[in-house]
Amino acid sequence: MAHDCIIEAQGLVKTYPGADRPAVAGIDLRIKKGAFYGVLGPNGAGKTTTLSICSGLMRPDSGLLDIAGLDIRKDLTEIKGIIGLVPQETAVYPTLTARENLLYFGAMQGLSGDRLKTRVDYCLDVARLTPLADKRVETFSGGLKRRLSLVAGLIHEPKILFLDEPTVGIDPQSRLFIYESLKKMNSSGMTIVYTSHYMEEVETLCAEISIIDRGVIIAEGRVDDMVIRHSGSVIEVRLNAPPPEALRQKVSALPHVSGALFDAKTFTVKSAKPQQTIGDIMRLMEESNLNILSLCHGGLSLEKLFISLTGAKLRE
Amino acid sequence: MKRLYHSIIKETKVIIRDKEALLLLFAMPTAFVLIMSLAMKDAFGDKGNAAFSVVIIDNDRSVVGETVTEVFSFIPAFKVEMALPGGITDPVKIQDDVNAGRHKFAVIIPEGATKGAVRRIRQQLAFTKKGPAKEVSIRLFADPALRPDQNHLAASTLNRALQGIENRLLWEQFGEVSGVTPQGSLKETAEVLRANKPFAEVYPESPASNVQGAHKRPPMPTAVQQSVPAWSLFAMFMLIIPLSVTFIKERQQGALLRLRSMPAPAWVIICGKAAPFCVINQLQFVSMLLVGIYVVPLLGGDALTIEGGSYAGIAIVSMSASLAAVGYGVMASVFCKTAEQATTFGGTSVIIFGALGGIMVPKFLMPPVMQKITVISPMGWGLDAFLDIFVRGGGVRDILTASGALLIFAIACAITAGARFKYLSR
Ligand SMILES: Nc1ncnc2c1ncn2[C@@H]1O[C@H](COP(=O)(O)OP(=O)(O)OP(=O)(O)O)[C@@H](O)[C@H]1O
Ligand SMILES: [Mg+2]
Repeated sequence: MAHDCIIEAQGLVKTYPGADRPAVAGIDLRIKKGAFYGVLGPNGAGKTTTLSICSGLMRPDSGLLDIAGLDIRKDLTEIKGIIGLVPQETAVYPTLTARENLLYFGAMQGLSGDRLKTRVDYCLDVARLTPLADKRVETFSGGLKRRLSLVAGLIHEPKILFLDEPTVGIDPQSRLFIYESLKKMNSSGMTIVYTSHYMEEVETLCAEISIIDRGVIIAEGRVDDMVIRHSGSVIEVRLNAPPPEALRQKVSALPHVSGALFDAKTFTVKSAKPQQTIGDIMRLMEESNLNILSLCHGGLSLEKLFISLTGAKLRE
Repeated sequence: MKRLYHSIIKETKVIIRDKEALLLLFAMPTAFVLIMSLAMKDAFGDKGNAAFSVVIIDNDRSVVGETVTEVFSFIPAFKVEMALPGGITDPVKIQDDVNAGRHKFAVIIPEGATKGAVRRIRQQLAFTKKGPAKEVSIRLFADPALRPDQNHLAASTLNRALQGIENRLLWEQFGEVSGVTPQGSLKETAEVLRANKPFAEVYPESPASNVQGAHKRPPMPTAVQQSVPAWSLFAMFMLIIPLSVTFIKERQQGALLRLRSMPAPAWVIICGKAAPFCVINQLQFVSMLLVGIYVVPLLGGDALTIEGGSYAGIAIVSMSASLAAVGYGVMASVFCKTAEQATTFGGTSVIIFGALGGIMVPKFLMPPVMQKITVISPMGWGLDAFLDIFVRGGGVRDILTASGALLIFAIACAITAGARFKYLSR
């Protein structure tokens, strides 16, 4: 095992009882100590399952998992002591106050006495919840709950923090707040594993990512490399009117095009020879009397990367 | 230990803040105990030691009146109340009282009944030549709400008394003719009647306990003896609703996931959850006992009495019933996917268990087949054990089987829940 890796997984497989296909079908992960690592994938891709395995909630059917030099099969309790999990759901008790929630989770992490109190106060402060500490969580907005949920995972100062889509359903202000807090924690040495299906947040937060779909990793590496490698092949077109079905089929059937995704007046295609495909598209639109408002090739958006990797089937 | 302490604190807060659950757990059984103890009072009234009140209006104040009074007082099923001379002797008023159920029976003995009886006997024996003597008219009024067999009991008691009087008077008149007159006055005759026992007297007894089947029939509790343990048990098991709802919510909202990612042992999480519910169960039971002892009598019912019964036995049964209820709740929490499912399944299954266990309809009122079926309900085991203590004055030894069964049920539920939980989180 490489010395700079804090999480190393090999061939993780997990099939839920009664499911007809594995939720995780052979995933390898190598996450460096101190990394801010993104796991990207559409709904049902297997992000939560992967995270559950890595945080010791679930045993893989097969595969090896090594966390901070500890074997998940033997040293589970020890591993649990150094990881923090922020689940996909808010995962706090609505009828308890913010402080009571943190006290309870802190105690369950094994903290007690003054240290518990100090950590609770610190976490309330990090989440900017100190003035609301003694209000019941059920009176909180979605953003406040998320912030509480986030710091509940930090109460014991974990070495590794797993975050499962922590920004779902909250406003941009709270989202930015969470980004900033996470960046701070990461720069002070905490390893962060972050799942999401928002491209732009992974792009701004994570240096390295894996993209998973249907339980397998379809791309991994540095975000910049990936964008350079893939973005050149994707073309995004905006029209003045939605293209008719016949035209859609013509676009999809163009030579070298390996995927096309239509969404009202815009569409995205992936092509092995983009220059030639751009010419073909312009010709087709002219024949159909449609105006191209914009045509974009080689942009840096992960959104496009995602489409280029997983194809149009993805949004089904 | 710190973890357990914090778990208990947290769970207690969660429960206490759930006002609807508390209403369900405490107000519901209180209402049931009160309603059932009062409503079923009369249905259970002939059981236990409740006696029929008989008011006797003795206008005769001689042999007949005194003997009738004597005979009714002698039989435990009756409680004699005398309408004193000068009190309410108006037959219409008395009939009103009986119709309204204030007295179960009224006997009216007319003035001169004894003299009339003597006259009639003398005439029958042809000691006098006067015209046929009038029959003495003694009247018995019965509460129309009573059952025919209860009416019959009062009528035959009265008739037996009258027959005795007639025999005595007959014997006395013969004595007079034959010259053997042991007693002079009628007053003294009454004394003799009282002292002399008939040649045979039969009282109901229970078969000796070594006779086969003697102890198998369910005990017959009073309304309050039935209601308090029955509805306490019902409410204790109803706990499965809040228990499984909080558990399922914990699961759905991800808090359980978070907990499982922590180095806290599973038993801490489970015991931390179960302990406050056990305490609630005990509070439920104690409050129902208090309702039975202090509140029911305030509203006109019989008070619950535990004299003779073992307090240790009561505590053991209520603890083991509570563990059974909590175990059942934990199992339901693991098997149900949503809170709605848990509420529906939990509520329905508790009602069915309750009906089968003799909670709604007391076991002794059930036909034998149904009585046998009550063995499938853990609530039935608990109820049997409580009734053994309340009604039969049973001790710890009498309830060990039932408590053991409840504990085994609790353990079986816990194991099933654990296995299912393992399977789901594989
Ligand atoms: N408890 C379960 N039992 C059976 N199947 C499950 C269970 N949990 C998830 N799955 C299935 O496994 C697959 C992967 O699910 P997972 O929750 O890991 O996806 P995800 O990437 O986290 O998706 P999302 O973005 O919706 O959270 C999905 O097809 C899902 O339906
Ligand atoms: Mg997920």
